[in-house]
Amino acid sequence: MDVAVIEEWEESELSLLETLDHVLNRGLVIAGEITIAVADIDLIFVGLNVLVSSVETAHEVLRKRPTE
Amino acid sequence: MKLYVYCVAEDVETLDQPILGISGAAVRVLKLKDLSLLVTDLETDAVPVTGDNALADAAVVRSILDRTTPLPFRFGTVVGEEQLGNYVSAREAALKAKLAELRGCIEMSVKIISDQIQPEPRPQDPAQGPGATFLAAKRREILGDESNAARAAEVSQWLHKQLSSLIRNEQVTLRPTDKMILSAAHLVERGKVGLYREKLAEMRQNRRDLHFLLSGPWPPYSFANIELELKTQFGVS
Repeated sequence: MDVAVIEEWEESELSLLETLDHVLNRGLVIAGEITIAVADIDLIFVGLNVLVSSVETAHEVLRKRPTE
Repeated sequence: MKLYVYCVAEDVETLDQPILGISGAAVRVLKLKDLSLLVTDLETDAVPVTGDNALADAAVVRSILDRTTPLPFRFGTVVGEEQLGNYVSAREAALKAKLAELRGCIEMSVKIISDQIQPEPRPQDPAQGPGATFLAAKRREILGDESNAARAAEVSQWLHKQLSSLIRNEQVTLRPTDKMILSAAHLVERGKVGLYREKLAEMRQNRRDLHFLLSGPWPPYSFANIELELKTQFGVS
C-alpha cells in the first residue's frame, strides 16, 4: 500500500492506523452489528467474535508497532 | 472447528503463494456457490484484536487484490462452516451483484486535516461572574463547532467537484474529529488510479490551508455494503 504523508506522521504509523481503520471498522458482517472506532478510541463491539477487553486495549493496539 | 473468514471474491481457485493469516495460521480457498472465500481453520471461537492480527487480516485480503477485487469481511468474522454456507446461500445473488458492482475498482482513502477555527475570545469583563464566564465559553464552543461544520461542508463539496469525474462512488464522513474535518473513501477504477493521484497532488498545491492524508489502493472495505446483511436479516428488500 502506498501512503502519501503530508502531516508529520511516520509512514509506518499512518499505515498501521489506516489498516486498523479499514479492517476493524468496515467490511461485511455476517452476524450482528458492530461499531469499533479505533482512531477516536471509543471502542465498542456487539456481536462480533473479537476479544476486546476495554478501551485500553485499543490504546494498546494503537501503541503497538509492527516492528515490536 | 471454526473458520476465520477474510473475504469473498470471484474466480480465485488457488493462492499465488502460501500466506499466513490470523495467528500465523495457513489460509485456504473455500469454494461455495461459485464464490471463492479465503479462510483459516480455527480451533477457537474468537480472535484477539492485536496489531499483528489486524495486519495479517489486511495482508490476506490484499494478497489477491492484484488479480481481482475482493469483498472483505470485517475483522473478527469467525463462523462455523455450516453457518458460512447458509450465509452464502441466502445472499448469493446479493454478493454476486456487489462483486460485479465493485469489479475492476479499488478504494482510495483521503483524510483532510484543517486547523480548527475558533472565534476570537472577547476580553473578559472583570465584573463577570463564573456563570457568565461559563456561558461565554460555551458560546465560543458552539460558534466554533458551527464554523468547523461549515468548513467541513465546504471542503466536502470542493473535493467532490474536483474528483467526480475520476470516481465511481464515494463514502464521505464529515468531521470525524475536530482537526480531521473530513474522511472520504473513493471507489476508483484501476485504470484511473494514476489520474486520481495526479489530481490529488494538484489539489494539494491549490489548497495550502488543508493537509491531506492519502492512502491506497485498498480493497473496497468502505463499499462492502452493511445494508446487504441487514436487509437480508430483516427481510427488507
